[in-house]
Amino acid sequence: MKRRGRGIGCMWYPIGFTVAANPSAATVKVNEDGTATLLTGTVETGQGALTVLAQIAAQALGIATDDVHVVSADTDATPMDTGAIASRTTYVTGNAVRLAAENARTILFEAAADLLRVKPGQLEAKDRKIQVKGYPQRCVDIADIAGHAQTKLGQPPIGTASWNPPTVAMDPETGQGQPFSTYVYATQIAEVDVDDETGEVEIVRIVAAHDCGTAINPMLVEGQVEGGIAMGIGYALQEEILFDDKGRQVNPNLTNYIMPTSLDVPDIDVSIVSNTDPTGPFGAKGVGEPTSVPTAAAILNAIHDAVGVRVHSLPATAEKVLAAIKAKRAAEQRQIAG
Amino acid sequence: MRPFQVYVAKDSEHAVSLLCEHAPRAVILAGGTDLLVDLKHGSKPWDVIVDISRAEDLNAITLTGEGLAIGARVTHTDIMRSPVIRESAPALIDAAHSIGAVQTRNLGTIGGNLMTCVPSMDSGPALLALDAGVTIRGPEGLRRLPLAELFVGPRKTSLAPTEILVDIVIPKHNLGKPLVFLKFGLRKGQALALVNVAAGCRLNGGKVWEPTIALGAVAPTVIRAQAAEAYLAGRAPSEQNLSETGRIAAQEAKPISDFRASADYRRDLIAVLVARALRQACAGTEIEQAEMIA
Repeated sequence: MKRRGRGIGCMWYPIGFTVAANPSAATVKVNEDGTATLLTGTVETGQGALTVLAQIAAQALGIATDDVHVVSADTDATPMDTGAIASRTTYVTGNAVRLAAENARTILFEAAADLLRVKPGQLEAKDRKIQVKGYPQRCVDIADIAGHAQTKLGQPPIGTASWNPPTVAMDPETGQGQPFSTYVYATQIAEVDVDDETGEVEIVRIVAAHDCGTAINPMLVEGQVEGGIAMGIGYALQEEILFDDKGRQVNPNLTNYIMPTSLDVPDIDVSIVSNTDPTGPFGAKGVGEPTSVPTAAAILNAIHDAVGVRVHSLPATAEKVLAAIKAKRAAEQRQIAG
Repeated sequence: MRPFQVYVAKDSEHAVSLLCEHAPRAVILAGGTDLLVDLKHGSKPWDVIVDISRAEDLNAITLTGEGLAIGARVTHTDIMRSPVIRESAPALIDAAHSIGAVQTRNLGTIGGNLMTCVPSMDSGPALLALDAGVTIRGPEGLRRLPLAELFVGPRKTSLAPTEILVDIVIPKHNLGKPLVFLKFGLRKGQALALVNVAAGCRLNGGKVWEPTIALGAVAPTVIRAQAAEAYLAGRAPSEQNLSETGRIAAQEAKPISDFRASADYRRDLIAVLVARALRQACAGTEIEQAEMIA
């Protein structure tokens, strides 16, 4: 018989470690056709980081995301980046990109101030133009300004910057301090059906609410959350590296190392909790790793809600869940008998 | 991967003549979903491949006077889409649907699934529960064998190196017999069976008649649970009787313990799945009889 249960998992997760140097650098150059080129040492691993970095550069320069050409990953050609690790790219690399774009924009403002006969501080970058704040009709195209800066002022609009969350030493006596720059928070709720004769756990639905500061690209945030939950499901119910008594892995292939297929992942409702972090680029923090943190806890709590058993070693395979159900029944029988 | 030569057989006779020429260094290629893995990683002595994927006489699904004949190179997708099979042996469709992924089902064949002869094959249980026979072609011509006699052990059939499987025939009297296929794997998609079960019966005057129970992945080959069948025959399909039938089936199986599951857990699954399959089959039978009365 299938029994329905619900469980909750909550988490916080640190973004931008500060116990050691954690820098990212970026270069943004504005071209004579009004497009921009972003050089970054970080790597796209499918999460959409380069899109987010292009959005950050575009927002700072007042151009469209499609106008930004991203050159990434080639360490011969791009500035140093600590890496696409530790859920740090949007937060740390994003800050470097924002600063680099702002440095390029400063040159555009200086060149435009010359043409528009105002002070650079009176200008803003918007709609592919540099315009006077409050007087948008007084403007010049960024394409023209980029050319003007190069040929008239002799100052190509190129900005480079690096950003490092301030390194803070731990207190040598207490071991305490501020090891990370900021933190994100999330809650996930899992709804499961547990077959009390086979121990099989079917996940019916997962609802996930995540804080990531400003969601620069909400669709990518949802994708990250769904992907993290799929990994969390594997961690909760399926994935395990198994060894024989000689220490050789017995499941070194995807036939026997069981991980979720699309049929094993349920409908996922993602809520992005609006928030702004003043230390992040346009208020953004991060979302990558945190997404898979609360999933197993929520699922295991849902199993408990459904059939009243706690499984204390992951993955909670059907065999383990059935063994726990049997042990519970046996204990209940002893209690009745006693 | 060692080098090999490929010969394309135009029909089963041609395939047999190629096998006679090159056996035992020759191997049959149908869908290739198992063979290519073997070629890449295995240490088999094959250096000739006889490709039957275009053989003209092996791809039909036909109703004959004898029953339903399914050609050896009919794919799992072909089975899922066959109106004749949906009408006369729908458990085969459930079994085909549970195999691998779309790509595997598009390439993999029913004959290949039987001839690879792994204990966890999904095509075996339903066919065995329907008392299917197989037609074999060899140098001396055709011969017929009960499916049970095709299976010898894990990855071992009774065929000679010069013989090939031509078709699988489900006898006429078992077409339309209520039969339910259930599979338990470690996940929903692309899963190998930990246990698979095909169980069916008819009801006559409130008593179970001709129960058949076949089990996969719990013995060196797919097997019939004969003691369980004998117990259930002539009894009412009560919850208690169906549960007891499941327990007997679990006892007569010979599951192994490995890293996927323990033998005890596989026995638990057999008992549950056999009772469930029979319960569903009986429900189907009642509907069928109610329709006949109406």
